[in-house]
Amino acid sequence: MSVNKPPIIQFKGVSKKYKDLLALDDVSFDIKQGEIFGYIGPNGAGKTTSIKILVGLISNYEGAVFIKNILINKAKKDLHKFMGYLPQEAGFQEWRTVDHALKTFGKLSGLKGIQLEKRISEVLNTVNLLNFRYKKIAQLSGGMQQKLLFAQAILNKPEILILDEPLSGLDPTSRYQIKKMIKEFAKKEVTILFSSHILSDVQDFADKIGILNHGKLLQVGSPEELQQKLDVSHIIEIEYKEKSPFLSHLDKYPSIISINNETPKKNIQEIQLDVNSDIESSIYILLQEIINQKAYIRGFNLLKPNLEDVYLKYIKDDDK
Amino acid sequence: MSLLLLYLDELKGYYKSKVMIILWIGLPLLSILFNYLNLDTEGVPMSYLVGILIASIGGILSSVMLSTSITSELNHHVYELFLIRPIKRTHLIVAKFCAVYTCIVIATFISLSFGLIIDFLKGGLPNMNIVIHTFESIFFTLAAIAIACAAGILIGINVSNVAASAILSVYLGGQLSILSVLPSLILPGVINPIFFGLILGVCLTLILLLIASYIFNKKQL
Repeated sequence: MSVNKPPIIQFKGVSKKYKDLLALDDVSFDIKQGEIFGYIGPNGAGKTTSIKILVGLISNYEGAVFIKNILINKAKKDLHKFMGYLPQEAGFQEWRTVDHALKTFGKLSGLKGIQLEKRISEVLNTVNLLNFRYKKIAQLSGGMQQKLLFAQAILNKPEILILDEPLSGLDPTSRYQIKKMIKEFAKKEVTILFSSHILSDVQDFADKIGILNHGKLLQVGSPEELQQKLDVSHIIEIEYKEKSPFLSHLDKYPSIISINNETPKKNIQEIQLDVNSDIESSIYILLQEIINQKAYIRGFNLLKPNLEDVYLKYIKDDDK
Repeated sequence: MSLLLLYLDELKGYYKSKVMIILWIGLPLLSILFNYLNLDTEGVPMSYLVGILIASIGGILSSVMLSTSITSELNHHVYELFLIRPIKRTHLIVAKFCAVYTCIVIATFISLSFGLIIDFLKGGLPNMNIVIHTFESIFFTLAAIAIACAAGILIGINVSNVAASAILSVYLGGQLSILSVLPSLILPGVINPIFFGLILGVCLTLILLLIASYIFNKKQL
């Protein structure tokens, strides 16, 4: 784990304005060496702007961004040597073949000769594009081009891998394959920043998550920390064999916030519990009442808030 | 180092492009066609005519090719994959300029050689004065093309629409490139037209490239 490791990426009070639009508002966070940082937020939240600042494509902003304690604007060229970047949108010149594109990028990154040839074979093998090595890029499908973008990002064996929406526009199979590749890469102690507007894309493997909305970083923390920080009630979902019993009188208990008999699903009742209450006692009371009323149940589920709820809660609260 | 790499890379891309195929094969073929059509050149050698032809067509084509390819590549985020590697933005522009210019120079000399061969087959080489005069015009031509190419780059960086980029480079690139012949027109016999034409061509090209480079360095991709 990366608990005691030093921060390798640091954003300190970064703000960026496009004319009248404040794209980033005093954003600060750091990512430790070997950590996988899931950077999430809705479209237009400012994720790509922050990433472009980090990779040096935008140099006009307020605040400071450090990589390995070096201010990025001071040593962009040196820092690019150990960075890999998969942009959200990127194109290749139409005359290039897969091999030619990777050779050019490899040479520009300092690789050459047999070492470069070998590395190209390795990365194409990783992304399952070895059979397409001498094909023109324009002839590849969207998913294959995305894999090629991933291949160019890992070509120079980067210490820091920055992936801007790497799964957008992909079919489920390609999404699975790219996720698998990222997980494999993460095992090699590479620091990864992974942006997405879909939380489920990052929640499987992110050590830390940053939630961005309207240019503001709303929360940063591990998935567990974010769940704990949030005051979201627990829901008990009970599925009955027949009609739901009358339980409304139970809302006198302080731990039960509400009882909903009119859910969209048939014969299902939702009981909302106070997150700070004694959940076990509430379950006991509920079960006893169900037995007393001789109601037959098919299912009894305690639904804890998942990261999707956490994310939506933060975004909705901020939008208010 | 990255400049040389980028230059060779761009050269590979341009020499196979359709526009370059027109210049490399089409224009020399035109000189043969002119010969078969028995055009009345009023005593002007074929090599001289071909030189003038290259000047007008090559300059405009190179300017349009550069401006439209840069505009299109900026729109398709092609440069992001280059600029996240240890290279300078200016090198990208200079490499493009040098690659297209090299292709044009080669096309010019191929066409000129065809013209000279045709002249030779028709009745021997033209006299030395005409040959020298032809090469002088070629120098003007190359200075004008350099200006047109630099203008094409400047337009390509600043215009976001490919069609607008093409139209602007046809007019602006063409107009600016004429500046290289101004000294000989304004002050005939007073100054050496070749020398001043070349100086003006080089200076104007450098100024345009410097402005383009400055803007490209400031541009948010």
